[in-house]
Amino acid sequence: MATSIVDATSSASMDSIENLTELDEIKKALEQLGKQEVIFGYSLIAQFSHTGFKSSQNFKFSEHVEQELKALLEHQDTLESKMNGLHKMLPNLQILETDSRQLTSMISFTSTLAENVSGKVRKLDLAKSRVVECSQRVEDILDLKFCTDGVQIALQNEDYEKAAGHVHRFRNLDETVIRISAETNEVPGGTLDTSFKQLYESEEKLKNIVHSKFDAAVHCQDVASVERFFKIFPLLAMHNEGITKFGKYLAAQISEKADNNLKLALHTPENDKRAAVLFADTITLLFEGIARVVEIHQPLVETYYGPGRLFGMLQILQKECDRQARKVIEEFKSQRKYDALVGDLTPSFFSITCINPRELDVILSEIALISARAELYMRFMRRRALGDVELAIQEVENRKSTVAEVEKFWNGCELSRLVQELINVYIMMEEYFMREMILKAVSMDSSEEGQQTSSMVDDTFFIVKKSVRRAISSSNIDGVCAMINHACTVLEQDFREVLYSRLRAGFPSGFDLQHAYNIVQASITQGKLQSSDAEKVKARANFLMSLNNAEVTCDYCKALKDNLEDEVSKLFTQCSEQSKAKLESCLGDLGTVSGRFKDVVDFGFSQLTTSAIKPRIKPVADAFLSTSHNITEEDFSNYEANDPWVQNSIVTLDNMLSTFKNSLTSANYEAFVSLVTTEVTAQLEKAVGKTTFNRLGGLQFDKELRGLVGYLSSVTTWTIRDKFARLTQMATILNLERVSEIMDYWGQNSGPLTWRLTPTEVRQTLTLRIDFRGEDIKRLKL
Amino acid sequence: MEDYKYLFKVVLIGNAGVGKTCLVSRYTKGFFPPGQMATIGVDFMIKTVEIDGDKVKLQIWDTAGQERFRSITQSYYRSANALILVYDVCSQQSYESLPHWIHEIELYAGTKVLSYLVGNKIDQADKREIPTHVGREFAERYEMRFLETSAKEADNVEKLFCSIAHQLTAQARDLELRPEQQNTFVTGGSTPISPPGCCKF
Repeated sequence: MATSIVDATSSASMDSIENLTELDEIKKALEQLGKQEVIFGYSLIAQFSHTGFKSSQNFKFSEHVEQELKALLEHQDTLESKMNGLHKMLPNLQILETDSRQLTSMISFTSTLAENVSGKVRKLDLAKSRVVECSQRVEDILDLKFCTDGVQIALQNEDYEKAAGHVHRFRNLDETVIRISAETNEVPGGTLDTSFKQLYESEEKLKNIVHSKFDAAVHCQDVASVERFFKIFPLLAMHNEGITKFGKYLAAQISEKADNNLKLALHTPENDKRAAVLFADTITLLFEGIARVVEIHQPLVETYYGPGRLFGMLQILQKECDRQARKVIEEFKSQRKYDALVGDLTPSFFSITCINPRELDVILSEIALISARAELYMRFMRRRALGDVELAIQEVENRKSTVAEVEKFWNGCELSRLVQELINVYIMMEEYFMREMILKAVSMDSSEEGQQTSSMVDDTFFIVKKSVRRAISSSNIDGVCAMINHACTVLEQDFREVLYSRLRAGFPSGFDLQHAYNIVQASITQGKLQSSDAEKVKARANFLMSLNNAEVTCDYCKALKDNLEDEVSKLFTQCSEQSKAKLESCLGDLGTVSGRFKDVVDFGFSQLTTSAIKPRIKPVADAFLSTSHNITEEDFSNYEANDPWVQNSIVTLDNMLSTFKNSLTSANYEAFVSLVTTEVTAQLEKAVGKTTFNRLGGLQFDKELRGLVGYLSSVTTWTIRDKFARLTQMATILNLERVSEIMDYWGQNSGPLTWRLTPTEVRQTLTLRIDFRGEDIKRLKL
Repeated sequence: MEDYKYLFKVVLIGNAGVGKTCLVSRYTKGFFPPGQMATIGVDFMIKTVEIDGDKVKLQIWDTAGQERFRSITQSYYRSANALILVYDVCSQQSYESLPHWIHEIELYAGTKVLSYLVGNKIDQADKREIPTHVGREFAERYEMRFLETSAKEADNVEKLFCSIAHQLTAQARDLELRPEQQNTFVTGGSTPISPPGCCKF
């Protein structure tokens, strides 16, 4: 406000001052100005003080601003240098802009140019392809003309291959395309049209001719012509007709040959070498004939018809094969009185005796042979068909359905059904045969002097092996499995029962075997034998023989399994994984049969233990009991000279073992000795527990025991010391000088010795020494 | 090598076309094979299941129903631990053949065999000819266990084989607990059929 006043006055005065001319006036004005200045100064001061107050209030704020300003100012340098740089670049930018503008114009120019050029090329291309098409069409039309003329001439000359060639060529032309050009350029009914008409007519004519000529050739048995016209069919796009006709022709040939073969077979004299396998031979001839036909004609079909056509022809041939095979098998059945046999077989397996196993044997072999041949033949046909399918269809995925069709066809064909029916009966017959023959072997069981086993074991396994091997020879996997199953049943059930029942009769006791043998020997020399004794001797020999039979059967089962495994593995090359697994599973069952005979052996030994071993060992133990082991020095030296117990015992044992040794197989003898040893130790242990000892008696017992162990070790191949461990430890205890001495052997001091006696048993043994005090024994810390 | 504790043989029998192969396929492979061809001879599949912590291997023998495979089929009866006799609930004829099959079982199978009667194809309800109660009564008469199944719809198929596995396992364990009878039962082998008493030593 003050300033505005000052301004107003000053501005007014200033104007006037400039206009002043008189000195006085100037002085006045100066004075005035001075005054004004003073006033102005005052107001300024006042004003200043006012604002000063206010700024102190805003002091903090301004400090902050100042800081920010400072920070900004710090950037000033960099900003400036950047600005300088930008300034320098400015002219370059301008150059760039002009350059790029030039470039765009150049590019757009080039692109239009290129478009122009490529358009022309495209047009050229189109023109060229049209020219090609055109020339193709012209060629086609020329071809057509050529074909039309050619067909006529060829037909006139009876050159059917050429005619068919022309038709084939014409067939490959694109008729619609030619007709389009005809429509545009020609009036209907022009030359093209007539050409087509003529060609179609010729084709029809040719087809008829080929058909009739082929039939005529077949009729005249003119092989060359048959093949000639067979090759023409595919040219006329009549693949299926060709295959069918040719297949029928081949089938007729097969049929004729097969009829002759069958007639020949039926007129074969009965004493002919091959009479027993006559029908197998006949059917083999049939299969071989067909295989030969396939072998010869497959290349022909493949060359002229291409891959994928063979299956059709094989199907036709198989139909004929089915018909012929049925004839042969029917003849086989009637000539071999097959149905009568089957009828006899079915009601019950055991009661019939009217079937002669020898007769069966012959028929079984023939069926196995027929089956084997049929399997081989069908494998051949399948392989051929599948090989052709593989050639025709490259992708495995697409092939699947056709492959399944091929498999289905041969699985379902009549031949395979016929063979399945034969195998069905074969298994029944073979099982019957096996059973009957084993029954016979069992009933005719015999043994020769000095033999440990009887004839039936060898015979039985020979029969089982024969039957299963024959089944294997049939190549029918299911048949093999079934026969292996039956073999298991017959062995595990019937044969096992035979052995079992013989052992169940038991080992007659109460009669010394050695004695019995002496009697037999005596009676043989004297020529008479008391019947009851003789029976017992015989029963014992039979028992031991059955025991041996059972033991040998265990091994035979394993051997049979290994043997059959070898034989079966020959089939593996021709069967699927699934069939392999089946065979292996059935063979595995045969392996477990062996274990079932082990039970029989164990049962036999348990019988033997009660009736032969126990009674014989008891006197030995009793003799020990009756020998005093509380002896004087004099007795001890006396014993040295006249052994009171052990020598006799060894003689008794030796007698007993040697009587059994020759009658038992080595494995059974080992088992026998083991059982005897177990029994001796058990009974002797008991006897020792009832005896009293003094120091010398203990020493005597130790000696005796050593003698016994020494003897038993000498008669076996394995170590028996283990069985005597408890007794030996008892001897050690009975041999001690003092009670406390036991601690040298017990606990930490036992060293390599493993105690088989419990602490209580040790104490009990110690009490057997009459010279040991009970308190000492009680005080022991075991 | 043997990664299982028990192995059981299960044999399926019954007329041709009642769906034995389909039942086995449904159980072992998990699908129903449409347009299944007739089985030739015998087929077999393996399925391992776990029963209370023990691996149990089921060896399933699928037999051909057609007459001309009969003697092959019969050879498998004796070693079977379980038999499944299948008929088709839509086929009176397959039901009428049952007595014949029962006769076969009595003739060839072991006395201890676990047998099931199974009526298959219950999915075709409108074509059904054999009511459930008729099948059940038949099964009761011959002391067989009974189930109706559909291999197509997977009805009761799992249940059938599972209960067989369970029962056979229980049987085997029971025998293990009574060792004096162990020799009459061979694990992984066959059920012996010797007349009772002959094996008691």
